[in-house]
Parts: sequence; C-alpha cells; structure tokens
Amino acid sequence: MISVKNLEKAFGENKVLCGINQEIQKGEKVVIVGPSGSGKSTFLRCLNLLEVPTGGEIWFEGQNITDPKCDINRLRQKMGMVFQHFNLFPHLTVKKNITMAPVHLKLMSQKEADELAMQLLARVGLAEKADSYPAQLSGGQKQRIAIVRALAMKPDVMLFDEPTSALDPEMVGEVLQVMKQLADEGMTMVVVTHEMGFAREVATRVLFMDQGNVLEEAPPEEFFAHPKNARLQDFLSKVL
Amino acid sequence: MTWFTDIWNQFYETMIVDERYLQIFWGLGNTLTITIVAILIGTLIGTLVAMVKAKVFNPRNAVLKFIFKIFDIIGSIYLTVIRGTPMILQLMLMYYAILTNITNGVTVACIAFGINSGAYVAEVIRTGILSVDKGQMEAGRSLGLTQTTTMFKIIFPQALKNVLPALGNEFIALLKETSVAGYIGIHDLTKGSDIIRTVTYDSFTPLISAGLVYLVLVVGLTSLLGCFERRLRKSDIR
Repeated sequence: MISVKNLEKAFGENKVLCGINQEIQKGEKVVIVGPSGSGKSTFLRCLNLLEVPTGGEIWFEGQNITDPKCDINRLRQKMGMVFQHFNLFPHLTVKKNITMAPVHLKLMSQKEADELAMQLLARVGLAEKADSYPAQLSGGQKQRIAIVRALAMKPDVMLFDEPTSALDPEMVGEVLQVMKQLADEGMTMVVVTHEMGFAREVATRVLFMDQGNVLEEAPPEEFFAHPKNARLQDFLSKVL
Repeated sequence: MTWFTDIWNQFYETMIVDERYLQIFWGLGNTLTITIVAILIGTLIGTLVAMVKAKVFNPRNAVLKFIFKIFDIIGSIYLTVIRGTPMILQLMLMYYAILTNITNGVTVACIAFGINSGAYVAEVIRTGILSVDKGQMEAGRSLGLTQTTTMFKIIFPQALKNVLPALGNEFIALLKETSVAGYIGIHDLTKGSDIIRTVTYDSFTPLISAGLVYLVLVVGLTSLLGCFERRLRKSDIR
C-alpha cells in the first residue's frame, strides 16, 4: 500500500533520513520507536509530504507521490494524520472540526457528515461534546476528537505522530484504547510512539530507528525479547 | 449658575449664530467619508501585502515562485516608503504632484490615507498570520485541504481574532490622522472648527466641540470593535 524507496531528507547540511526502504501492506500496524532526533517523526511526516523528501520515492496506492505532478491534496484525503499536539481548530466546534474537510471537499453533504461525526463521536464516547469548543476539552478528549476528525475522511491509512506524548499520564489510556479499537477493525496504521506496551500489544511489526536509519525491524515478540542490534538493546534497557 | 450661563452664551454666540455649527457638521461628513473609504482600501491592500510577506502562497511552480518573489520585494519597498515618510507629506504629494487630474480633494485623501493605512494594516495582519500555530496549517493540509482553503478557513479567522485590538488601534489612529486633510483644502472636522475660530476669534469653543465629536466617534468605533471581538472570542469560553 505504501512503498518507500531510498527515502532521504536533509535540512540544509543536517541529514535526517539516510535512505529508508519500507513496504507497508494493507492492514499492517507498523510501530516506529527510537530515541529523540532519530528521524522517526520526519519519516512519518514524509509519508504525506508534510515534509518534502530530498531524495528517493514514496508510492501510495500505485502513485508516486514524490512526483511534482501528483495531486497531493487528493492523496492526503486517503491518509489520516494525528499529531502530538492535536491541532484541533480552536475556532470551530467539535462537530465542525470533524465535518469541515469532508463537506468542503464535497465528499459528503453537511447532513451526511454530521451523521457520520455523531456516529464516530459516539464510538469514542464523546457524543455529548459535539457542540463544545476544543478549549473546553481535556487533552485526552482533544486527541480522541483529532482521531475522529481524521477518520471522518474515511482514510485508507492512519498516521500517528506521537499521539500520547503531550498527554497527562492518566489520559494516555483512553487514547490508546481508541487506537487499539481502530487496529482491531483492520485499519492500516503507522504509529510513532514511546508507548512500548502499545507496540507490543498492537503492532504487527516494530521498527527501530536511529540517526536516520532503520536499524532493526521485527514482529513485536521477537523485537522486545531478542533484540539483535546493540543500539536497540541499549535503547530497550533504558526504556523498559 | 452664572458660570454655566456664560458657557452657554459663549457656545451660542460662536456655534449657533449664523448656523456656524454646520461647519462642524459638513466637516464631520468628510472626515467620516475619508476614514471609512481609507479603512476599506487599507484593509484590502494590507491583507494582500500581508499574505505576500507572510509567504501564504508558496507555489511549487518556478515561474509563480519568481512572480511572488517580485511581489515580495515590491511589498517591502511599499512598507519602507510609506512608514518612513510623514502622512502630511504623502497627502500633499498625492494632491499637488501625483493625482493632479483628480480635482476632488476628498477622493485624493481617501486614496492617500488608504495607501498609508494599508502599510500599517499589512504588518498587523502579518503578525496575526504568524501568531497562528504552524500545526494548524499542517492539520488542514493533512486533511487534504489546499493551502488557500486552509488559509481562509482555518488560519485567517484565528489570526483576525488575535490582531483585532491592534487593528482597532490602527483604525482609531487613522480616524484622528484625517485631521491633517485641511492641508490640501479639504473641509474636514478640524478644518470646520478652524473656520469658526477665524470668523469668531473664539478658539476654545469650536476646538473643544470638534474634540468632543472625535471622542464620540472613537468611543463608538471602540465599542463596535469590542462587540466584534466578543463574538470572535466565543470559542475561548471554558
């Protein structure tokens, strides 16, 4: 579904991604872990061109999205993204946050979008917040709304950029719960996170990145029980 | 009580006799016309310049990139020249040297004040655009919205809310600055009171009267902006 070929990204002299090759299949749940500054967020942000790669190719559903002629707005509709800092639109109500993009892009009528929004909100247990503004919500609630906002576009893949890193510890659970539910429903997911428990439980494959390279990839059982790379062993000994 | 009667008599002698208050009244009309038209022109120019300066459009196309680079340079020159020279000078230059084929002073003043205000409005709006978190643009783009749509639907409303007080400041300053319009012979509020002064040899009453009218206008404008701001702040309620 997503195929990454020799992906490179540099900010000036600073090389952040040094040639990454990845195949992400439909239904996979890929979790990316690694120390800060390892390039994992940059990699994720390259997948929907929030960062424009400086080298290599990314193919999504048979189209080369790194080709300048490709209509990236169209492809982004099929890739949902959830951010560390939620990035809800503070001047719109929760319901408007969710329905704005699909209605504006004429994917559905306001009525259909409203119905879908209420249905999705009910699923994450926030139906009564439909007419609230983001400022009135807790961090965990905001992030669940942000997930719903991305889901309302009916994406084929969901990208999560450290979705729980900005949350109070007691709110992490409710967000991970929603993500697990999503995973169980078969959504293709790419998740950058520091939640090793989530990686172990939900991932079909775990990647370890450091200094712009994928140093190890394995199913979670193998990844956590028998890490081969020395850098990964060191990393796991610190975080587990 | 005699004190009050004295004031009233003086006011009557200066302002009411010969319907001299009409000088203030006609002046008010011109002041308002210039202010309102200049606000409209200034907001239009200011928004356009701010969008160019804040790099709202960053086209991938090389030709468009070049064109926007040129716009950017023109914008910088505009801001430097307009903010770097006195308003009166710009006004006189417009009236006596540049727009000489427009004989109506008020029209020239509308254009000159609009162009002047645009420079200040541009910086205010640019500040507003920059004050909105980068994540908002990313969130909009990640949903498949175009840069332009995200700008107008997501960034602008938040930017406007953040800069409304500063924008109000600029409009108030503009309203009062139109008092120099008399320099090119426009009969505005200040000029009106000055005409009464020269006819009656009473300076106090006409100048205070004009001052009160300005004050009322500013208070009105302030409360109007306050209303608007409260509406925009609806989403901040916790």
